Amino acid sequence: MVAGGGRTGAGAGAGAGCFPRRYPLPADEVREKNQDERQGGQFLDGMDLLKDVTENKRFLPTGVQGYPIWIIDALLGGGLRQGQLMEITGQSSSGKTQVCLCSAAHVAARHLGVVVYLDTSNSFSPRRIARMVDVFPISLVNEPKHVRLHRVMSSIICESVFDIFNLFEVLHQLELSLKKKVNNGSSKICLLIIDSISSLLAPIISGKYPQGRSMMLSVAMILKKLADEHNLSVLVTNHMVAGNGAPKPALGESWKTVPHVRLVVSRDRGSNICTATVLKHTLLASDRHCMKFAVPS
Amino acid sequence: MANKLVSEMRLPPHLAHLLAARRLTTAKDVLSLPEVELMGVLDAGIHTARAAVAHVSEIACPPYQTALALLESVRLGGGGRLATTLRGLDDALSGGIPVGKLTEIVGPSGIGKTQFCLKLALLATLPECYGGLNGRVVYIDTEFKFSSQRIVEIGKKSFPQIFRQEGLAQKMAGRILVVRPTSLSDFTQSLEQMKVTLLQHDVKLLIVDSMAALMSSEIEKSKTGLRQHPLRWALSFLKSIAEFSRIPVVVTNQVRSQSNDDGYHYSFEVEKKGDSNSAEKFESHLVAALGIQFAHAVTIRLVLEAHSGHRFIKVAKSPMSPAVAFPFTVESSGIILLSDEGIDVPGPEITSIRCQGENVLAR
Amino acid sequence: MEIADLPICTSYRAKLLAAGYSSLASLSAADPPRLARGTSPARRTAHRAPPRRQTLPLDSPLRPPTPIAAALLACDEIARVGVDLNIEIPEAEDILKVAVCANKFKGADGPSSVLKGSQNAWDMLSDEQSRKHINTGSGDLNNILGGGIHCKEVTEIGGVPGIGKTQLGIQLAINVQIPVECGGLGGKAVYIDTEGSFMVERVYQIAEGCISDILEYFPHYQDKAPSGQEKLKPESFLADIYYFRICSYTEQIAVINYLEKFLGEHKDVRIVIIDSVTFHFRQDFDDMALRTRVLSGLSLKLMKLAKTYNLAVVLLNQVTTKFIEGSFQLTLALGDSWSHSCTNRLILYWNGNLRYAYLDKSPSLPAASAPYAVTGKGVRDATSSNCKRVRVM
Repeated sequence: MVAGGGRTGAGAGAGAGCFPRRYPLPADEVREKNQDERQGGQFLDGMDLLKDVTENKRFLPTGVQGYPIWIIDALLGGGLRQGQLMEITGQSSSGKTQVCLCSAAHVAARHLGVVVYLDTSNSFSPRRIARMVDVFPISLVNEPKHVRLHRVMSSIICESVFDIFNLFEVLHQLELSLKKKVNNGSSKICLLIIDSISSLLAPIISGKYPQGRSMMLSVAMILKKLADEHNLSVLVTNHMVAGNGAPKPALGESWKTVPHVRLVVSRDRGSNICTATVLKHTLLASDRHCMKFAVPS
Repeated sequence: MANKLVSEMRLPPHLAHLLAARRLTTAKDVLSLPEVELMGVLDAGIHTARAAVAHVSEIACPPYQTALALLESVRLGGGGRLATTLRGLDDALSGGIPVGKLTEIVGPSGIGKTQFCLKLALLATLPECYGGLNGRVVYIDTEFKFSSQRIVEIGKKSFPQIFRQEGLAQKMAGRILVVRPTSLSDFTQSLEQMKVTLLQHDVKLLIVDSMAALMSSEIEKSKTGLRQHPLRWALSFLKSIAEFSRIPVVVTNQVRSQSNDDGYHYSFEVEKKGDSNSAEKFESHLVAALGIQFAHAVTIRLVLEAHSGHRFIKVAKSPMSPAVAFPFTVESSGIILLSDEGIDVPGPEITSIRCQGENVLAR
Repeated sequence: MEIADLPICTSYRAKLLAAGYSSLASLSAADPPRLARGTSPARRTAHRAPPRRQTLPLDSPLRPPTPIAAALLACDEIARVGVDLNIEIPEAEDILKVAVCANKFKGADGPSSVLKGSQNAWDMLSDEQSRKHINTGSGDLNNILGGGIHCKEVTEIGGVPGIGKTQLGIQLAINVQIPVECGGLGGKAVYIDTEGSFMVERVYQIAEGCISDILEYFPHYQDKAPSGQEKLKPESFLADIYYFRICSYTEQIAVINYLEKFLGEHKDVRIVIIDSVTFHFRQDFDDMALRTRVLSGLSLKLMKLAKTYNLAVVLLNQVTTKFIEGSFQLTLALGDSWSHSCTNRLILYWNGNLRYAYLDKSPSLPAASAPYAVTGKGVRDATSSNCKRVRVM
């Protein structure tokens, strides 16, 4: 099997079974800065990819608990997979932001790495995260609560993004800083959350601006590239709009194919119980339908 | 302000040329486009588009004033009320029908809405020393209920001392200009000319009796549903007339009987069963075509209803008044209150409309 | 980063792409001083052609070498394909400016500066804990809101007509001005009125009510006030409310755009109230898709204002009915997409004979209801003595 793809890191230089590259490159090609140019031509074989997946791409737990297991993680067959883009969609106030905050808290608490949270609606609430961390079970590493809190909170970075061009800049910066810090171990970014990406994309698509859809797909491509190359897990939220009869996720048909995993969350009237349903999953069969969980209080 | 021409805005030349070249001639054209669409239309970068929007916005934005300045201008204007001579009601409304705002009078047919309007029309024509506005009145009569004879009768009976002089009542009645549109388009046309009329004739009060009569035929014809309500434009136009000409505008509204028994609630409210308090059910029934949007748009809402053998006038929506109801009757001198002490009406019952024991809703 | 993602205009983008610049790295490596003036039409060169210098017509005898040009000199030079782009000098400068901006974080270093302008959650936590809230007037309502209306957040308040939205809006405009010594923010308010429901005499009344409450809780406030400070008067409260009267949706968009400049000049504004955000958008728009796009753009701008200027944005909304799950239910107006545009949502409704508020959406607080009352003094707790409104004379 031969598969094509762009890679950085260990596999790039060796490239077993590589076909010749596309451009005749000048001598100083090995510089980091030209990596973008180099992406386009490499071919890799399937064994390399499998090796990469089993060794490098782990699962990140979302930490959303049901009774008594970690519900969303069970639904997803392990959690948020590194290298994948997951979308959570749902009506207003159905629990999407809560799932994002919970995942951020859990991933940070388990020393898995730094979490970058891009927030478009000023909904990032450090107080909420602190409360969630407080009720975590005591970890194996015996540290006092306030030390744990400080460590967890310091590994979550939040930035407010209010328009699409700003998002491109931020993602670009992220890429650059990831390239720099390849070897830095625990302070490496492992989870990127964008809450919510639909409020940034909604003003530009389906209008007279022809570039709108291509910008959306461009964002999708950048996110997937980041996820794949740097072993990130990407979690985005989407909202619902009225469709023919039933509400459907926003951003249209073109976006449907973008995330690897799509989850729909809905909340029962006036209660704390939410239901998560898997709409699409690249790895699991679709017979795992829905599970209920309680929004952690 | 929305239609302000870009060419008159004194923008920096490169922006002005760019906007003119793309036929974005008014502020509305420029501001209705989302940022990225403007970039596309102008074929310019984001900074240029943002600069254009910022310039246009600054000029199209109306000037601000502090609330204190507003208060002083209102006070200078003499407090801005048209007294209804119904003492209890005037007290509840802190002086009377407010100037510069839209007041709605709603009730079942035959309850006295037109009588109330006729009295208000007469009051506005009176000289200021008698509590009037000393001006003309424009009375838009869609149901052909206006009667000058009745006006004269009201005048003579309620202000006998003023109208002792023969012919004075007729003179006052003559200050009332009656317009009789026969269809919605007629009505819209006369509204459009209204601003000029108001200035020409020194009009001090505008009455529309009634809004809903124009609706019935239109609603049956139109299929566009709630979104494209034909009277919505008229409503906002009346509001703007009220404010800019600093006159009170009074509209009347009809009711129709309820058609379904569902109570309308929010999704988070526990389902209420059919035996619940009937008043509670009705608060949320203001959802017919002219209903809930209309209710949002008016500033003061006076509800006239009849139950337990009496008629009541209720102050259903008002920023300044408590929720009270007054019993009233209609006599030869117009509407009079049977009691100046209002009855407090707590809760959502204030907005419900009852007609001889049955509940009805605003159309 | 791709050229397609840069915020430049479409035709330049097309020209750059035609010239072979597909990514930021290639553009920033452009070598300005060797540029010839370009008048010949654009043409593509083959891959194997000897590398040529790019020819952006940047140099001009009248123009000294710009700092950008100097900075780019230091960049790596990779000459790929060259073509005459045939664009003006200032536009070319703009493009390169954007490219440099996007690339300047190459130099950014340091362990915590993963992203410029970001904060980590620990710092935000201490910020948040020291933040003050705006008192709504009713203690129960403050409790479900976690102390009051939050700054740096957009709160939407909706309800049926007559429930008291405007009353609450006016109360907040007054309460934001409560002096810092008495537990308030001591800020000013911007009130954007789209419906004409702002009755100034009522504002005066509420201001009087607020002052009397302050003096009740802080009886020595007047004595302790420094001599330069004026005594508490309703007029001074009214003087600190900036009032905009908006008559169409164009003006509504214009005022929200203008607020950026206005707030830069008036730094002590702590709350912006829009009453109501729905009115003009419900009636004047025929194209619903355009309306959704415009509204989502507006909501992002409001979020940005709230965050940048550290103020609370309160949007009052109307209700409509929607057919959900087999029956008509009440929801807030402006559609599904708008419901995602706020940080917090409060719904005011009748429950029996009392007015209640339900916190429908909040990132950090649970859903809850609380009663409140509207009295002659303004919004207060719904205790039995407050149920009757004092008559206004």
